[in-house]
Amino acid sequence: MLELIMCIDDDPITLMLFKKVVQKAAFAKEIIYAYNGQEAITFIDNIQTEDTKPQLLFLDLNMPVMGGWEFLDLFNNSNYYHLNNTKVIILTSTIDPEDIKKSKTYPNVIEFLSKPISVEMLGYLKTII
Amino acid sequence: MKNKTNQITLTYIIAALFIAIISYKLAKHYSSYLNAYNFGFIKDILFIITTGLLFRYVLHKNYKRNTETYKKLKQTNEKLKESNEKYDIVAKATSDTIWDWKIPEDKLTWNKGIKGIYGYSQDQITNNSKWWFDNIHPEDSIKMSIKLYSFLEQKTEKWQDQYRFKCADNTYKYVLDRGFILKDENGKAVRMIGAIQDITKQKEEENRLKLLETVFTEARDSIIITQATSDEFQIPKIVFANPAFSKMSGYDHFEIIGKSPIFFMGKNSNTQEIEKLTQAIKNREECFTEIILYKKDHSEYWVSLSFIPIYNLEQDLSHWISIQRDITEEKKLEKEKEILIAELTRNNKDLKQFSYITSHNLRAPLSNLTGLLNLMDDVTIENSELKEIINGFTISTHLLNETVNDLAKAITIKDSPAMQNEELQIKDIFKNILSQLNLSIESTKPKLNIDYGNVSKINTNKVYIESILLNLFTNSLKFRSKNRDLIIDITISETNHIITIHFRDNGIGINLERHKNKIFGLYQRFHDYPDSKGLGLFLVKSQIETMDGTISINSEVEKGTEFMLTFKSL
Repeated sequence: MLELIMCIDDDPITLMLFKKVVQKAAFAKEIIYAYNGQEAITFIDNIQTEDTKPQLLFLDLNMPVMGGWEFLDLFNNSNYYHLNNTKVIILTSTIDPEDIKKSKTYPNVIEFLSKPISVEMLGYLKTII
Repeated sequence: MKNKTNQITLTYIIAALFIAIISYKLAKHYSSYLNAYNFGFIKDILFIITTGLLFRYVLHKNYKRNTETYKKLKQTNEKLKESNEKYDIVAKATSDTIWDWKIPEDKLTWNKGIKGIYGYSQDQITNNSKWWFDNIHPEDSIKMSIKLYSFLEQKTEKWQDQYRFKCADNTYKYVLDRGFILKDENGKAVRMIGAIQDITKQKEEENRLKLLETVFTEARDSIIITQATSDEFQIPKIVFANPAFSKMSGYDHFEIIGKSPIFFMGKNSNTQEIEKLTQAIKNREECFTEIILYKKDHSEYWVSLSFIPIYNLEQDLSHWISIQRDITEEKKLEKEKEILIAELTRNNKDLKQFSYITSHNLRAPLSNLTGLLNLMDDVTIENSELKEIINGFTISTHLLNETVNDLAKAITIKDSPAMQNEELQIKDIFKNILSQLNLSIESTKPKLNIDYGNVSKINTNKVYIESILLNLFTNSLKFRSKNRDLIIDITISETNHIITIHFRDNGIGINLERHKNKIFGLYQRFHDYPDSKGLGLFLVKSQIETMDGTISINSEVEKGTEFMLTFKSL
């Protein structure tokens, strides 16, 4: 079981669902929520200690204020080298093949998943991280 | 000759004197009237001498005249001989056919040329002028004879004519006939000698050139010929332009001559294309371009232009020929088409974007619903009414989810660029599909006959082939007949890297007469089944076409349906 993961999504129901499925699958002990990319960046900027560093990020693409792509561009920036090992999973409802293609250009994005998140998906993720 | 006259006169006098003397001697011997005989003898002698002298005078006169005539004849003969010799030489040199017409007797003879060139044997020729005239082409003979007779009557000084002369094989040759007259002392034409030259080749060439010239004059495309210039920096000048060029450019012929082709270009003529043309001229290479030219009234027109170097027999560049076709209308259409395509592309892109957004916006809440319902699985519900409601809610949500996912898939197929192929075991594909359909197969228990034929591996797109077969299986299971056990027959074969799959069931079938044109259309449902979404065959067709394949259908109501699929496996 992971210690700390982060879910970045603007939809409260998705977040609620995410929490429940994570609990059910016993995937992680703690989840940090961010409603958009900007909030996630603010949180990451304020990380002080190793134990407040999320081990895995679940990222939606379509969000207000700062979307998933913009977040990824910032996150890949050298400022966040301390988070270089943190893997990102895109969790979205988009079906645009361009998005899947684009996600492959970010080295820390390890998976592109379609909503809704399920216990099976988390079971699969456990095998690859 | 003079001696001869004297000789004849002398012989006459001697012979006459001899007879006179003999007569006198005989008379003296037999008669006694000597005096009378003496007198007669003297008279005879005088008569003889007088007639002798008279005779000589006449002979002498005649002799003079004869000498003159003889001289004249000799001269004429010599002239004739010389002419004949000359003509023979000329005839040999020019391969002319010589004829010789003795007019008073109407005797016309031919030299060897009549055989060699026109193919006549001696027995085919009649040596008179009729034969000659008979062999002249009917269309030419009247004109020719008029000219000839006026020459014979010396109304004209020279005679030469062109006409068609019939050969032994009944074809006609174009000939040039030239002749001269020999006159007698009275100036009357007695003989005519002529030389016929075969000019068929020249005439044919002339006709060919005339025909070729019509290409130049009648063409709708502009044709200009320019001189070749030895100066490589100089643009050659136009020496000839056809009427079409005048019409196209609005300039008169005299205004065009001497101008350079560059003269007709202007501010909107593509400078790169002009550079290309001048470079080609410099390099003496042919050049093709499309460029804007300017008319005399300064209006623009587009031409497709060629500029081709022409070399003479010595392989020296002699001229350039340029052919120009007015493509203004085509350019206009092309531009319109480009604008239209750009507009359509933009619209298409917008629509695609719109469909992605719509599908995203549909999928987002739907995925939440699905996720929430999945969570409900673990919740025990006591209230039976609520349980029923939630059950219905779950079914509807799953159906909606499937529909949205299928639609999303259809959009993705239409938009997918190159396909990724991989080598697949055909048996694995079916194993995979059947395991996905495990539940429905368990419940319906169809009889499955799969004949893999000569196929073991295929090289294709895994997702597509699985999706296609899954759809066909699902359809067969879904639309099975209640009156009989379901049988599905599948035969697979390969020829020349083309895979053919026959997929046959004994289900309820489709009324093809009614639905023929919309079988593979979007949102076409042929049966009133609750879980039929009208997307399956549309997806199948889209996917097989993306695989460069084809699909066709045979079906009969209450008998079954057969699909024939073909696709490449390379």
